[in-house]
This record gives sequence, C-alpha cells and structure tokens, in this order.
Amino acid sequence: MAWGGGFGGGGGMFGGGGTQTGLPFGGIPSELMNEATRLLETEPEHPASRLRFTQRPGPGEHQRLTLTGLISAYPAWVVNGSLLVVVTSLVLQAGPMLTEYAVNHGMITGHRSFRVIAVCGALYLALALVSVLLQRAQAVVTGKLAARVMHDLRIRVFTHFQRLSLDFFTDEKSGVLMSRMTSDIENLQQLVQDGISQFALQGLTMIVIAIVLFSTNVALAAWTVLLVVPLLTVLSWWFHRASERGYLLSRDRIANVLADLSESLYGIRVVTANNRQRRNIANHRHVVGAYRDANFYTGRVSAIYGPATIMIGILGQGLLLGIGGDMVLRRHLSIGALIAFFLYLNRFFQPIQLLVQQYNALQQGRSSIIRLRELLETAPGVDEVEDAPDLAAIEGRITFEHVDFGYLPGRPVLTDINLEIAPGESVAFVGPTGAGKSTMAKLANRFYDPVAGRILLDGVDIRGVSLRSVRSQLGVVPQEAFLFAGSIRTNLSFGRAGVSEDDLNEAIDVVGLRELLDRLPDGLNTVVHERGQTLSAGERQLLALARAFLARPRVLILDEATSSLDLHSETVIERALDRLLEGRTAILIAHRLTTAQRADRIVVIDHGGIVEMGTPSQLLAAGGSYARMFDAWITSGGRDATRKRTGDDS
Amino acid sequence: MLNSGRYDSLVTPPPARAKERDRERANPLGGVTSRYAGPRARISRDRELAWWRRVLPVIASHRVSFTIAIGLSFVSLVLQTLVPNLLNGAIDHGLVAHSGVLRHDVIEILIVGLLAGVTGIVSRQYVFTTAYNVEADLRSLIYEHLTELSFSFYDRVQSGQLISRANSDIRSVQMYSTFAPLIVVQSLIGVVAFGFMLSIDPLLAFIAMTVMPLLYFVGIKMRRVMFPISWITQARLADVATIVDENVNGVRVVKSFAQEEAEVNRLADAAERVAWAYVKDAQIRGQWSPWVQNLPQLGLALVLFFGGWMVYDSKLGIGAILAFNAYLLMLQAPFMMLGQLVMMGQRARASAERIFEILDERPEIADRPGVYDLEVTSGSIDFDHVGFAYASGVEVLTDFDAHVEAGETVAIVGRTGSGKSTIARLLTRFYDVSEGSIRIDGRRLEDVTLASLRANVGVVLDEPFLFSISIRDNIAYGRPDASLDEVRAAARGANADGFIEALPKGYDTVVGERGYTLSGGQRQRIAIARTLLVNPPILILDDATSAIDVHVEAGIYEALAKLLVRRTTIIIAHRISTIALAERVILLDEGRVVATGTHDELLANVPLYSQVLAQSTRDEPEDLD
Repeated sequence: MAWGGGFGGGGGMFGGGGTQTGLPFGGIPSELMNEATRLLETEPEHPASRLRFTQRPGPGEHQRLTLTGLISAYPAWVVNGSLLVVVTSLVLQAGPMLTEYAVNHGMITGHRSFRVIAVCGALYLALALVSVLLQRAQAVVTGKLAARVMHDLRIRVFTHFQRLSLDFFTDEKSGVLMSRMTSDIENLQQLVQDGISQFALQGLTMIVIAIVLFSTNVALAAWTVLLVVPLLTVLSWWFHRASERGYLLSRDRIANVLADLSESLYGIRVVTANNRQRRNIANHRHVVGAYRDANFYTGRVSAIYGPATIMIGILGQGLLLGIGGDMVLRRHLSIGALIAFFLYLNRFFQPIQLLVQQYNALQQGRSSIIRLRELLETAPGVDEVEDAPDLAAIEGRITFEHVDFGYLPGRPVLTDINLEIAPGESVAFVGPTGAGKSTMAKLANRFYDPVAGRILLDGVDIRGVSLRSVRSQLGVVPQEAFLFAGSIRTNLSFGRAGVSEDDLNEAIDVVGLRELLDRLPDGLNTVVHERGQTLSAGERQLLALARAFLARPRVLILDEATSSLDLHSETVIERALDRLLEGRTAILIAHRLTTAQRADRIVVIDHGGIVEMGTPSQLLAAGGSYARMFDAWITSGGRDATRKRTGDDS
Repeated sequence: MLNSGRYDSLVTPPPARAKERDRERANPLGGVTSRYAGPRARISRDRELAWWRRVLPVIASHRVSFTIAIGLSFVSLVLQTLVPNLLNGAIDHGLVAHSGVLRHDVIEILIVGLLAGVTGIVSRQYVFTTAYNVEADLRSLIYEHLTELSFSFYDRVQSGQLISRANSDIRSVQMYSTFAPLIVVQSLIGVVAFGFMLSIDPLLAFIAMTVMPLLYFVGIKMRRVMFPISWITQARLADVATIVDENVNGVRVVKSFAQEEAEVNRLADAAERVAWAYVKDAQIRGQWSPWVQNLPQLGLALVLFFGGWMVYDSKLGIGAILAFNAYLLMLQAPFMMLGQLVMMGQRARASAERIFEILDERPEIADRPGVYDLEVTSGSIDFDHVGFAYASGVEVLTDFDAHVEAGETVAIVGRTGSGKSTIARLLTRFYDVSEGSIRIDGRRLEDVTLASLRANVGVVLDEPFLFSISIRDNIAYGRPDASLDEVRAAARGANADGFIEALPKGYDTVVGERGYTLSGGQRQRIAIARTLLVNPPILILDDATSAIDVHVEAGIYEALAKLLVRRTTIIIAHRISTIALAERVILLDEGRVVATGTHDELLANVPLYSQVLAQSTRDEPEDLD
C-alpha cells in the first residue's frame, strides 16, 4: 500500500484550489495509478471559488430547505430528466406491444408472416438499443443534477455554519456538525441521483398500467383498487411515521458515534496516558451499539413494509381470481378477458415493489433534510443587524460601558465593567484564573455579546457594524495555538492572503522562529497539523504570534499567548511586541507579571469587576492588591521579574 | 493487540445512568447504553487476500443470522414465483376445464401469499440484523485499532481522514457485503428460468441466453473503470470531512481572523472537486450499466425474431413464445440490481482498501512477547545515552544521559524546542527512543507492559485536554471507580476545589466541547487533579501550570510538596517558582544535558542557565533590529 503517493487529500495532484495538505495518508494503490491518472487528466482546471461571505444570509438563503426547493434550482436538468424518464417508460411499454403484434399478425395460424416477425424483431432490437441510450442520457443528467445540488447544499450548510457564533460550538458536539456535512449530505446524493427518477419512473408505469386495467375491465379494476389501495395506504402511513422516527433517531446516534470518535482522536494523548483504551473501547461499543439499535428499529420497520406489500399483492391476486372466476362462472365475463386482465395485473404489482424500495430511500433522505433544516434554522447568537455598515479603519479606542456578562443566565461573570482604552495604549489585565479576563477579550472581539451595557470601538457600538470589519481589525492570539493542516507557510499567512516573502521573513525573525525553521528539514514548507507533535506547545505559540503579526490588526489581544514559552523566548517576544505594538492598542492577559509590568496601564480584575487600575508604578506605590500580587510573584521565585522592573525604569 | 487475553473482560458493563430511550442526546462517554457485545471476529491480516476475503471473517461471525436471511429469502422468492403458475393452473383447471374447484385454488394462493409474506418479513429482519451487526463490528474494530496505534501515526494523519474512513467507507463496505449475497440469491431466478426454458426448447433457450455472457465482459470492464473513480470520490469526500473537522476545531482562529470567506471558498473548491468526481462517476456508470440492465431486452428481441421464425416454420408453438417472454421478464429486476451490484462492489472495494490502510497500520509501540508488569519499588530513572528524532527528521535528543534518584524531584530546564517535552513522551513510551535506553528501577521500558508503565508514570500534559463529560468524570478519567471524596481530595490538591464548587452544578457540571467553557488555568488545574487521583509513583509535570496565576500555583505546589515526598518527580517548567520546587536542575540544550546541579549552583556557574531564565540580558544586544 503506497503511503507516499501525492494523492494525500487531493492537493497538488488533484489540481485546483490547492486547499489540501500533502499529508502522507490516502495514497492510491499503485495498480490504480495509471487508470486514475488517465481519469484525472480529463478533469478541467476548476476555477478557484470566489464566493462572498456575508454574516446575514442573502435573499436566496432564507428559503426553507426542501428537496423540491433544492432540485428546482436546476430547472433545465429537472425537465430533461423528467422527459427522459417519461420516454424511457413509454419505450419499455412498447416492447410487450410489439410482441403482442408479432404474435397476432405473424404467428397465429392463418396470419403467418415472416416479414412481420422480422420487422418486429428488428424493431424490438432497435428499441432495446434506444432504451440503452435513453438510460445512459438519464444517468448523466440525474448524475449532474445530484452533483450540483449537493455541491450547493454543502456550501450552503458550511456557510451557515460559519455564521453561527461561538456559543453554538461550545454547546454542540463537533460530531453533529461533522455528520450533517458528511453522511447527511451523502445520503441525499443517492436519493437525488437514483431515487427520485426511479420513483417517478415506477409511479408513471403504475399509472399507465392502472389505466390499461380499467380499460380492460372496469369492475375488476375497481375491485383491485378497493382491495389493495386502502391496505397499502394504511401500511404506508404507518411506515411513514415509524420510519421517520427511526431514521431521525439513527441520524442523532450516528452523530454521537462521530462525536465520540472525534473526541477520542483529539484526546488520544490523555487517553493513552491514563490507560483508558479498554474502557473507551467498551464505551464506544455502547455508542456504536446504540446506533446499531436505532438501525435495527428502522430495519424492522422496513423489513415489515417491503414483504407486507408483496403479500398484499399476492393476496389481492388470489381474491381477484375468486371474484373474477365467479364472474366467469356466472357468465358475466369471458375467460379471455380474465386472462388478459391478469396479464396486466402482474405488471401493476411489480412497480409497487420498486416504489416501496424508493419510498424507503426517500424517508431516509427526509430525515437528513429535517436535521439539515434544523441546523440551517439555528440563528447565530451573535449576529449582525440588517445592512450593517463596515467599521471604518479605527484608531484603536476601546470602551466598555456598564458591561454585564454571563455565559449562563443567572451566573454573572462580569458586572458593570467601565473601562476606556486609548488608541495606542497597552493595557494588561491581571487577576486570578477564572476572574473574567479572557471573557473581556472575547467581548471586545464580539465572540459574545454583553448581557447589558455596550462596547465601543472608536466610539462606535460594535453591535451596529459588520462582524468582519470588527474582527479583522482586532487580532487575538489565544493560549492554545490551533494549526491548520498544511505548511507552516500557509499557517502563517492564514490571516492575510498574499503575504509577501519579505513580510513573512520579517515576522519570522521578529518572533524568533528562524532557529526552528532552520532546524526543520523542509523549513517553511514543513507540513504541520492540529495534533502533530513536530512542534512543541511553545513553538506553536510562536507560530500563532507570527500569524497575528502578519495580519497587522489595529488592536492586538494576547490571551496568555506566551504561557508555554521559556523566559528567553518570551523576552525575545516582548521586544518584538514593543515593535509590533507601536501605534497599536493592545490588551495583554498574562500571569507572568513581567508582561504586565511592560504595559502602559494595569487593570486588576477579580470577582467579575475591576478592582484596581493604574500605571505599574502607581499600583506598586499604592500598595493595593496588585502590589500584593507582585510581592507574591517576587517572593515565590519570580525573580525574572526584577529585570523588568529596572528595565521599565530606564 | 493492546493487552491480548484481557479482551474477555470487555463484556461491557452498562454505564449507570440514562434509561431514557428514544431521542436522548447521549453523552459520548456515558449515557447511551446498548447490549452490543463487540465484534466477534477481526478482519484478516493477510494482505494478499482479495478485499472481500479479508472482510469475510466478520460476516462469517454472524453466519447463523446470515444463513437464515439468505435461506428464507430464497424460500420467499420461490413461493413468489409459484404464484403465476398457480394462477395459470387455476384458470386452466378451474375455469376452462372445470376439472377443479376454484375456491381451493384461491385458498392455495392465499396461503402461498401469506407464507411468502411471512418468510419475506423474517428473512429481511435477519438481513438487517446481519447488516447492522457487521457495520457495528467494523466501526468497533476501527476504533479499537485506532486506540492501539502509536503517536507517530497520529502525527501524520488528520482526524478528518480517519473520521471519514470510519464513517462513509464503512457504510459502503457494509452495504455491499450484506446485500450482495441477497442480490445473488435473487439472480438465482435466472438459473430457474433457464431450466424452464431448456425444458421447453433447448435451441431457443440457448439463443435467448446468448447475450448473457456479455454480462461477464461488461462486468469486468465496469470493475476496471469504476474502481478508480470510486477511489477518487471517496478520497475527495474525505477532503471535505477534513475541512469541516478543522473548521469545527479551529473555529476560534477562523473567527478571530475573520477568515470565514476564505474557509467557505476552501470548502467550495473541495465541493467542486467532489462534484466533478460524482459527475464522472455518473458518466462512467451511464456508459456501462444500461447495457447490463437491457440484456434481458436483447434476449427478448432475439426470442421474438428466432422464436417467431421457428413458429413460422411450425417448429414451435405460440405458447412457448409467451412462456419465454415471461421467463425473460423475470430476469429484468435481478439484472437491474446486478448492474448496481457491480458498481456498489467497486465502491466497496475502494472503501475497503481505505479502511485496510488504517487496519494494516501496525502499532510501532506495542508489548513485545515476554514483557512483564512493571512494579515500581523505588522509582529511580536512568536515561542512558538516549537519542531521538521525530518522523519529520528533526533530531530532538542526542546522547541524553541522566539519572534521577528514587524519590528525587528534578526540574528539566531548557529553551523552547530544546527537547524537554520529548523526555516526558519517551518516559511514557508515547515514542520509543531511537538510540540508547531508558530504565525505571533498572528495568528497560521495552521490557514491561505498556499498561503497567503508564499506570506507574503519571504525566500532566502541556495541553490540558478535557472531554465533554462532567468535571467529576474528567478528574476520575484515569481511575473511573474513584469515589467522590477521592475526586474532591484530588481537586483540592490541584487547588481546583474552590472554583468547581462555585459552578452551578459543581462536580457534575458538564464541560462544553473540549472544556472550552473553562478558562485555561481552570483546565490545567483539572488536568493536574486528574493525574493526582491516579497517584502514580512517578510523576511528570510537563509545563502543567503555565496558565495558572502565581497565587494558585503556590497553593498547588504546597499541596504537591506533601505529595511529592518519596515520589520521583520530573518538572518541566519555565517559571523559577516552579523550578524552585526541585532539588536538582538538569539544563538541556540542543538535545543534550549541558549541566546539572541545584538552581543556585547553575545560576552561579552556567551562563546559559541564567540566559534561559532570561536573567543576563545585559550580555545581549538590547535590540534585535
């Protein structure tokens, strides 16, 4: 098995986009290489997508998600596909008629004609070839339709998912989002590609044959409808209810399976360090088993539905034989007519079987639609007002006005915060863990909205302007640096596309990444990803800092961004910050008071409020809570801090 | 296997809670219960076998339900084919010849119908039971295998890839492996029909079936062309999954850089490539599968022509033509399914190969034969000329040589990237040394079982990963049977008790996805409590208090100081407050030990040490630029 193939994830070799990674997984078996390459050579260069993202959904996106709504976006293909279905079903019906004609006009004694037989045979052959061509055309049309519809749906769901705010992501398990974007949409793919056309084809056939039945014998046809239709309706209604329940349950449980899997993968180090493998396996069996049980339920429902309709068909034929035979015996009906009726009756029940199969698929698809619709109808907790203007380039004044906030109702985290940060000022938030320092940063960035009060940037309420314009002017460097799969280069330029090589090199030198890059064999092109251990926690933080540096925000928020760095690297960073922060507003959240000492102003936060505020020297002189913290820091061994104090004095 | 032989004890005890059925949003690490007992068989390890032969043991482990499913479905099918004959017979005898009682025929048909229905229902029950059991088995097998794999594997593979393979690929293998036999059974009708045709007229029977061998050739061709496109499609679906996975986990970065538009376009590009693959797939399928579907039609045309000729020459009766028609029509449905079968088969094969890629990955670090359980008596650790490089080729440790006394507390200090954390990863055997060896109490790590090693060496990792379960369960993660009092005691040791009690539901508070509802420092304290509860004789703190403020840290170390007595401890830290806890400091630079000694000794004698601790800035140029 070839690990090393360039097929990893479809990057370079698959052409276009260049989104992917080159991670050595997903190699294509060598025996496939030639055929696959030949196929891929037929792939045109896809132009890079240039979609616009707006926080408020566009006019077309308010539409409620339905299957018909989805496919009606491509009327031409729907019409073409439907026409092909109709023609195919007519061609299929023409076959038996040809046979009948050949028998009656070419084979029956007295009417023997080789010419008729030959012509009918040739026509039949031609019909078979035509139906091959028709089915081919139909497969291509519905294939295209399904592919485009699912393409649109993927983008629509993903776009909405980008609109949702952070509270959604902390509440909802990642498995749920994953299964909506993968298995739910893949479910619908099948349905649109084969299901709908089959459903239409069989439904049409049934109608045609029902008409033929009535034209053959009204009384018997009426009996057929009377005997079969009510039973089928009741059964189908039951199936509709039961299967919907089952399929929805199964959608939820597959999401749990994926959530459990995803969490185990991301937490694999903790799992291993704690010897939890066996227990987790047992637990995963429960989750998988619960999914299996939900499937068992849907399995039972459809196991009853399918054969039960067959049974109704056979029982109906038996009873019709009784009724029809009675009519024959009473001389109300000729035997010939009865035989003819039964010939068509058989063809009436056949499409029902196929319809039943497709109905099952339709139900499965419906449950996916319902779950996707729920996701699409979830309103973001933090949203833009209608036609929100962009926030103009700011100087960097941040104002908190009587801000109250809590993640949960009744559990306030911040109460009545009033704070004004001047443009270009650097402010350090200090205080015990959990005091609400990071929360203040999250509010400034509009990850959350305050419960009361408001936050202004350059005097503008951030709720009144577009999210993008706020966040692109504020750079946040979090404690845990997330790396996207890809090269170090793409990770660095994440915040600003098209960063020049010079800027890149500057950022690398400023944060002190050069040494690391020299050590890596592939340098800037080294592939990293989220869980990879190639980089240490400290090195990841350096990358995150460089990333923020390159994005050139007006306001920079460092949320414990240097906690994993050794003091030497931190010193380097702090010097870099002096440059980076030149003319920029900064909020620094740190436990190392060295960082705080460097700020223009220190804000001490405790118990959800501002306890103390002032320049470092003012606070130290005041002898309040900051001074006590600082003393504790010094006596507990924070001797590294002394340098800073002297340094600041100069 | 991770602890072969101990698997027997894995008969899952159901978690205590959650009786609520139906739509419970289950908590992945508890909550939903099921009686599913786990896979009974594994996938064959023989890579030489065809893909379906490798899956066969899993299907064979459900052979009873599988056989019942296939058997009964055949019975049901035969019963259904009886119906036309019964109807014809009833009309011929009961109505035309008046040689039988019509009512008896009707009753006969009703009984056959009932039997066909019942056998059909029962057989499908078993079909689905088998199918979903096989699916659950495959899911469990992959999960079990993933927990065994080494970190070198996780370093190079993205979660999105694994999730996609463990989901859509499993589905396609399961669909094929359980429904294919069923379709084959249905196709047996073809054999029955051919038999009937032979009995009527052998020559015409052969003529009618001449086109059927085409099925074989078309099938071969389809396999050749469908396999690559199926592979490409599955690979591209995995790309989409990977992007989604990254965006879920990296949502904070995407949002704070306002890069939603770029990410939407990244997904749109991937979706475009999926769409192309699906269209290509439909085109290739459209090229071949209608031929398979229409083979019976071609047969019918031949029967009409040649049969008609024979009738014309009075060598055959008209009835035979009608009978041949009926039999060939019987083939229509199975042939439609056969076309699908070939397609599903190629998709399943591509998927199976992708699953095997994971399953064939052998854990690089596993118990060797003859290993024994580690029992730490004193807890001394020896690093003997240890060398290590990650798979990326970066050499991290070179000739690292150190000895840690039993009960000693040692701090490892070095610059970012000097290899400190790697030492923690080697000591817990997340990775194996490339050169030299590590010994605990004189025993080489490779000679003891992994489980006993990790039970004895507790590590608080630099990233405090929490699971989205209750805080209590998170702390008890390494010792799930711990009582609440023990959990509380551990939390107090980590100075976490206070803030946990202040939460609305205290210890039962469920932390959100990955614990992001808590602050960094709070997460770190829970992570420390988690390790303290296990109470291992050897403890590694890998930068475990970086986000905790000094006050709290002092409290933690006060508690730890008591705990650390007679416990070998390795502290990896940057803060002097933390380093001060250690009796001895090992200074690491570029993967080797530069100096060892007490903090004061190193400070006095080793310039690099004070440099690492950022003390001697005066020696450095004041500005970088």
